[in-house]
Amino acid sequence: MASSIPASVPVDGVAGVEAPAVRGGARALRTRRLVVAGGLFVLALGLMAIAAPWVAPQDPLRQSLRARLAGPTLQASDGKAHLLGTDHLGRDVLSRVVWGSRVSLTVGFAAVLVGGLLGSTLGILAGYRGGFTDSVVMTIADAQLAFPFILLAIGIIAVLGPSFTTLIVVIGLSGWVGYARVLRSQVLVLRSREFVDAIHALGGSVARVVLGHIVPNVFSSLVVVATLELARSIVLEATLSFLGLGIQPPTPSWGVMVQEGREYLHSAWWISTFPGLVLMLTSLAVSRTGDWLRDLLDPTLRGE
Amino acid sequence: MRGVLGFLAPKLLRALIAVWLVTTVVFIVMRLSGDPVPLLLPPDAPTSEIYRVRRELGLDRPLPVQYATFLGNALRGDFGRSIHFREPAWGVVVRYLPATLELGLTAFGLALVVAVPIGMLSAIKRNSAVDQAAMGVALVGQSAPTFFLGIFFILTLSLWAGWFPTSGRGGWEHLVLPALTLGAFSMASIARLTRSAVLDVLRQDFVRTARAKGLPEAAVVMKHTLKNAALPVVTITGLQFGTLLGGAVVTETVFAWPGIGRLAIQSIYNRDYPIVQCTVFLSAVLFIVLNFAIDLLYGVLDPRIRPR
Amino acid sequence: MSHLTRRDLLKSAATLGAAAALAPALPGPAGAQTTQKRELIVAQGGDLARLDPHFSTSSNDIRWSFNLFDNLTSRHPDGKLHPGLATEWKLTAPTTWTFKLRSGVKYHNGDPFTSADAKFSIERTYDPNVKTMVATALATIDKIDAPDATTLVVHTKKPDPLLPARLAFYGGQIVPKKYVESVGNDAFNAKPVGTGPVKFVSWTKDDKLVVEAHDGYWGGKPDFDRLVMRPIPETAPRIAALLKGEVDIITQLPADQGERVAGTPTTRVAGALYAGLYVMAVNSKRPPLDNPLVKQALSFAIDREAIVKELWRGRGIVPNGPIAKGDNHYDAGLGPLPYNPSKARDLLKAAGYKNEEIIIETTVAYLSNDKQMSEAIQGMWKDAGINAKVEVIEYSVRAQKNREKSFKGVFWSDPTSTLGDPDGMMWRLLGPGGPQDYWRHPRWDELGNAARFSVDEKFRAQAYKEMTTIFLEHFPWLPVIQPYEDYGLQKYVEFQPNPNQQFEIRRFNFKFKRA
Repeated sequence: MASSIPASVPVDGVAGVEAPAVRGGARALRTRRLVVAGGLFVLALGLMAIAAPWVAPQDPLRQSLRARLAGPTLQASDGKAHLLGTDHLGRDVLSRVVWGSRVSLTVGFAAVLVGGLLGSTLGILAGYRGGFTDSVVMTIADAQLAFPFILLAIGIIAVLGPSFTTLIVVIGLSGWVGYARVLRSQVLVLRSREFVDAIHALGGSVARVVLGHIVPNVFSSLVVVATLELARSIVLEATLSFLGLGIQPPTPSWGVMVQEGREYLHSAWWISTFPGLVLMLTSLAVSRTGDWLRDLLDPTLRGE
Repeated sequence: MRGVLGFLAPKLLRALIAVWLVTTVVFIVMRLSGDPVPLLLPPDAPTSEIYRVRRELGLDRPLPVQYATFLGNALRGDFGRSIHFREPAWGVVVRYLPATLELGLTAFGLALVVAVPIGMLSAIKRNSAVDQAAMGVALVGQSAPTFFLGIFFILTLSLWAGWFPTSGRGGWEHLVLPALTLGAFSMASIARLTRSAVLDVLRQDFVRTARAKGLPEAAVVMKHTLKNAALPVVTITGLQFGTLLGGAVVTETVFAWPGIGRLAIQSIYNRDYPIVQCTVFLSAVLFIVLNFAIDLLYGVLDPRIRPR
Repeated sequence: MSHLTRRDLLKSAATLGAAAALAPALPGPAGAQTTQKRELIVAQGGDLARLDPHFSTSSNDIRWSFNLFDNLTSRHPDGKLHPGLATEWKLTAPTTWTFKLRSGVKYHNGDPFTSADAKFSIERTYDPNVKTMVATALATIDKIDAPDATTLVVHTKKPDPLLPARLAFYGGQIVPKKYVESVGNDAFNAKPVGTGPVKFVSWTKDDKLVVEAHDGYWGGKPDFDRLVMRPIPETAPRIAALLKGEVDIITQLPADQGERVAGTPTTRVAGALYAGLYVMAVNSKRPPLDNPLVKQALSFAIDREAIVKELWRGRGIVPNGPIAKGDNHYDAGLGPLPYNPSKARDLLKAAGYKNEEIIIETTVAYLSNDKQMSEAIQGMWKDAGINAKVEVIEYSVRAQKNREKSFKGVFWSDPTSTLGDPDGMMWRLLGPGGPQDYWRHPRWDELGNAARFSVDEKFRAQAYKEMTTIFLEHFPWLPVIQPYEDYGLQKYVEFQPNPNQQFEIRRFNFKFKRA
């Protein structure tokens, strides 16, 4: 039974579906260079997040009202260097960007984990069991897609109260449909292949089939969807911050910083521009990597 | 005829169940989220007043009873009276709808008109500077938070360049910046998708043959790829429509646009249950009808997909 | 009819003195500009909810209901009570106020205004069948007589020295009896009719409110033909609309944006010292906040000077207690609340504070700068050894907590001085059964109660003095700032704002500069 929403296109919401690479010398080389650059960028961010206490020049929570809204400078009125300026409370923007990577990346990865686990479980279940289970899962997926997500998020956060965990759960929940639909369609294809029947005939359990054969086969798709979701989650955290539903102060995250700085965009542009830039670059690098992984791993393309 | 019916009936049933699910979830979430009454009264109003207003709004009854009443009324098209506006919720939402439709359709039209040609151009001239630039911009469009983009447009294109009004609803010139902001995301997605769809088609045999016959590239693209590439583009279009109301919440707030996105978020903050329920119901139905139509369109675009 | 215009403005300017209702305008490049505009466009931070003045108390609404309607008495930008629809009033018995009403006043629909309308309007506020949202505003009234068309006699349950002041604020707007009774409350809300300087034309929710000048206004026709209000919720677009010249006045101008507005050749800033305070109200029932020493320490650990000077760019003053500057019984001799972190540490030690978490619950932009101030104060408290945490809550959650009195620690409040008197501020909110009743002190209660029902101002002054002393030992509020309410204006607009968030736009405080 087909979903009322065609499942032939992965629902990634953020990044469109990128073309498989046309394999060829110069192009492949350039692509690889870009991907390597993107990958290195993400890696560097990850290292920065882990090493934040040593990398950040100052305490990201340290306020200095007398040095607030200072532009990028080597010596502000508090006598300190603020390479990316200070925010509306006189906190060092650079240090907050560095520390913010912790929160933003954690939220991103954790949300991807939540959405990925839920989505792939339901997707594999729906594809494997078919019939009624499939109908139920896909109807819920339809309902979720039809639900203006932001409104649902606001509602849920209003009920649970804004917190780190709530945020991760909400962003994660928003993304499960993507995994579920992609995996479901792949499992449908795999299930129809002979080897599954053969295993069944040999008395193999369902769990063994799923874990031993289906999961490895769909893993590449999973990774691709996950990268796209990661980019989307990081941006979504910023949007929820705009609506006042993000990370609680004074903890810095890129989304919070962009949001807090938006009123100062014409007078103290550095407050939201720098975290915004990092946010955009991260999202860009991650989705680029995703596109490349798709080209590299997509089993439906491998046969060509 | 029976074949079509047999194809439609289960889908229709599922669509109905999906709408029911959406309305039920929103009912529960809203009730759990808090009480609208303290917002209606001055802070020094006595508790007896609170109870009186709650009784008046029917909020003192048990939740299952409220839910049954809500479902029964909703089936008859009655979403109750808005707590905040003190008039039927349906009428309020319908009054706000044109502004959002105007903005949403323009944003979408703009996205399609800009993105599809750019995507095609990118595919034909793949790996050229044009392609790289277009896809770079598209990626930025996808990764910039909507509110940031909106304020950025206001400060640059409106305040600095003076081309467009800063906010509010009015003539076409009021429409440009919010439509651009709301459409940026879809525009980027559609451009990238078009590019990849066209590339996909270009690699197929019949195109290679056509090319081998010496037909000019543009003609090949026009003749063979448009229809084939339309399929995924139409699909993503339908799905993107669902993200539109979400985007409208932010865009309408930034541009002071009097549409249902802003109505919805204000109503959530006011705990105006009937309005929220009605808005969500309406947008879910719109979304499902649209995707239903796209499903049917599939059959037209691609004869290989036959109604089962 | 023009006696309320120019002369009044001059008079009020002269009486400002210590009240200092008028803020010094920020410096900006000179070059006065003029206009021939007949339409005034105002942008505010949110749309109205309701036009019927008895069904809302929100500041977005009362900005307009005080223009569509008149009250019997009127509080002008100078902070003093002036005649409104009543030309004079006096206490004729301990519980009887007699009002002489203005004659010849007409409603927007042409109906004459009489004492029957005044009686109807006031009774309407607490009529249980009408279910207004201002049922408690005038609850001190026992009964009202209207012996003739221009006389209104109000009997109060107990002596009420502040009745004329109460009638100047919300609940006191006079609506037309005949019209309201014939069309009903909903139709009245949709198409309101009043006696005010502007009359209703149309309202497209979340888009714009359009009103016209009321030609026959008793106070003189205002200096425009049409007035349009546009709600622009986001600050950056609201300011962009002003700078680009799309709107003439914006409300709720954040202090941080003042320089930008003042620095633009075509725009300027005007402000009025808020008739009220921004305070952190304290749930004194929750340990360790039940300990006065801890609360004293909290107060000593707030660097209010830095908050005013840096966070507010000087657009405010440091309070000296629970009474707002400009109010009756404000003690000008009392110094601003001091900052002394080492004293705070000593007090904490004396109080036996064991690093218990103190939660600051804040909304975002419910009061301007609330979140920023919360974060700043959290930092200051941390420096003084206080373990504080900021929790952001949304406005409706705040309203509910307010109702249930379930705040976890301290929370922001912007007590408005509705009567220009401590009775309408600290006693209204902190008194027994009030919305911020988290702390009781027998002597304080005794004094507050006595002052409310006394018509002896000397006694009242003494009572409020003693109440202030008790307050400063127990801090049921931690007053933080008395800010300016700033507006951004085009240079061609002359406007003197009202300190209490009303947005009266009348002959005496508004005009366009003409060439």
